[in-house]
Amino acid sequence: MIRVENLIKQVNGTRILRGVSFAVAPQTVLGVIGASGSGKTTLLRCLNGLERIDGGLIECDSIRLETNLSAHEYARRVKELRRKIGTVFQHLYLFPHLTVLGNIIEAPVHVLRVPRRKAESEASELLNAVGLKEKARRYPESLSGGEQQRVAIARALAMHPALLMFDEPTSALDPKRSAGLRSLLRGFVERGHTMVIVSHSIGFLEGLADNLLYMEGGEVVESGETDQILNSPKDPRTMDFVEQAK
Amino acid sequence: MIAVTLAATLFSFSSARAQQPLRWGADPSGGAPYVFNDPNHPDQYIGYEKEMADALAAAMGRRPEFVPSDWETLVSALGRGSFDVIINGLEPTADRLKQIQFSKPYYIFQLALTVRNSEQQIHSLADCRNRVVGTLGNTAASRLLEKEGVPLRGYADPVAAYRDLELKRIDAVLMDVPAEVFYVSKSKTLKRAGEPFFRGTYNIGLRKGDDALKAEVDAGIDKIIRDGTLEQILRKWNLWNDAQTELQAQIRAGQNVNVANELTSSSFNWREAIWRLARAAVVTVLVAFGSMIIALFLGLPLAVGQSKGPPWLRWLCTIYIEFFRGTPVLVQLLFLYFGLPTIGLAMPGWLTALVGLGLNYAAYESQVYRAALEAIPRGQWEAAYLLGMNPLLAFRRIILPQAFRIALPPMTNDFVSLFKDTSVAYAISVWELATAYRELANASGQFLLLGVAVSLFYLAMSLPMAHLARRLERRLQRREAIQAVEAEIV
Repeated sequence: MIRVENLIKQVNGTRILRGVSFAVAPQTVLGVIGASGSGKTTLLRCLNGLERIDGGLIECDSIRLETNLSAHEYARRVKELRRKIGTVFQHLYLFPHLTVLGNIIEAPVHVLRVPRRKAESEASELLNAVGLKEKARRYPESLSGGEQQRVAIARALAMHPALLMFDEPTSALDPKRSAGLRSLLRGFVERGHTMVIVSHSIGFLEGLADNLLYMEGGEVVESGETDQILNSPKDPRTMDFVEQAK
Repeated sequence: MIAVTLAATLFSFSSARAQQPLRWGADPSGGAPYVFNDPNHPDQYIGYEKEMADALAAAMGRRPEFVPSDWETLVSALGRGSFDVIINGLEPTADRLKQIQFSKPYYIFQLALTVRNSEQQIHSLADCRNRVVGTLGNTAASRLLEKEGVPLRGYADPVAAYRDLELKRIDAVLMDVPAEVFYVSKSKTLKRAGEPFFRGTYNIGLRKGDDALKAEVDAGIDKIIRDGTLEQILRKWNLWNDAQTELQAQIRAGQNVNVANELTSSSFNWREAIWRLARAAVVTVLVAFGSMIIALFLGLPLAVGQSKGPPWLRWLCTIYIEFFRGTPVLVQLLFLYFGLPTIGLAMPGWLTALVGLGLNYAAYESQVYRAALEAIPRGQWEAAYLLGMNPLLAFRRIILPQAFRIALPPMTNDFVSLFKDTSVAYAISVWELATAYRELANASGQFLLLGVAVSLFYLAMSLPMAHLARRLERRLQRREAIQAVEAEIV
């Protein structure tokens, strides 16, 4: 699905990512864990093209991002890449001037040129799936944090992405709502979605992620199946992190 | 008490009569040939009335002291005591006689009609029924035009009137002969239409009750006529003619001079005044709305250009914004009205005001837009990009609607002040509310009541705007507030 090789990103001469490599197979979930400042969020921003990479490559289906591309060509490929990747930000960034329904159909109608009526019926299905059927006409500000997050998920899914990425999805949720989100996402995985989830909450990823990747200081310390990373990590740094997180 | 008396005695001793000034007021701006700034020595005043005032003061044994003032408010300034006499080609009209008194006449003026050299159809005032004739506001000429039912445009100075005639903004100019002689004899593009007609006198204006001064002034006029000084001055300025010979003969003979003035200014009519104010209010509304629309449409690209454009565009936008914010709007309007025609772009006054204020306010609105755009979090842009939108679509559908809501309150504020700023259009002879007030109030002396009426007109226009803006804002907020409350209950 997506493959990252020796990815390097530097900001003002400081290397934020120092050669990150991994791959995500279709219909699997990769959890990216690590302390704050380990480069997790920057990794996501490189994957969806918000940051230009300084080394290595990103490959998603047949689209390759490399450093030797012209600015124009890079931008063109990022555009294609974004058609395949949906992102749910930590801060969501719902559009406050549009209703819940408006948030969801905005891109399908104006980017994909789906007829409004068709987009609306698809959006209703998505809202149904995330349990917000009754709130289609509301404005985001009037929703709770958990509801807003589900609107953001529906908004991303409305573009039919092959890969869905989350940045700290549980940061604003209480444990009960975290569990609710986890079962919602698990449902999407069972229907064939692929996901990359950046989170510091190991509890949330347990039983959701197929594989885990532990980052520290812009490097991948260890990656493997979730069970293995959580129960028998090979690297002492992973062990420390997992111990503390538990 | 003794000290005061002593001081007064000392004062009257120390200041001989020769030291006592004759403070005379006139409007020197565009005031040729009466009194105006010497083009060769701009800090000095010249003109035939300047020379006459000097001669008159000498004849009275006083020292002349010129107080530059404003034509429209000469009478009220005299009443306030800014100066003691008006010497500015002032005619003793019925409504002026209610407020001040006049000396004996010193000059008989006639009116002359001026047209462009190419004009074939206008030979007299009778040919102007369906044309627009320019003249100075509140003069014998303007009253004659009103009485004859000729469409007129009032100007603050003759230069502007003749220039607009050259630029074909008007079809003819009716002006007192002294001004006409001075401007038209030098012009290559304008000519006199028909012979000068109508007769009226110029007299010196004094406060009511200043009878001793009036006697002194009358004696002074007698003196400069008898000794030929006035004739000499008038000849020098090409203003000597048969009418003056007649006038001076009568004065020499000690006769009472009475020029039959066919023209009594119509007495003040409130109904007509309100009607004229209402028409001026329509112009004000038109100019305010038109320029706000320009400002809103032009302000946005300026804001975007200044913050997101390539360096050369940023520079251009910044120069535009700083230029329009850093120079007075009055100067900008004068430039557009009088400057642009020299490169062949002559707009009528109301359009100049509309465009000028629009360009000016665009600079201010651009800063409102910019602040509003900067207030939108970067994440909104990124969210839009990640949904596949290009920058233009993201801007139009996501960023602009949010920014507009932030910008709405300051923009309404600006609009209300734009409403009031339309009054600068007075400078380019647009008949909007402030101009209407000045002219009607000066003609009638009803400063107080007309002031109240004009304020009511302004309020009647700006209050609904403020109200509408508040409702709009509240509606935007309420929609969210209601839902927030609903969410709490659920």
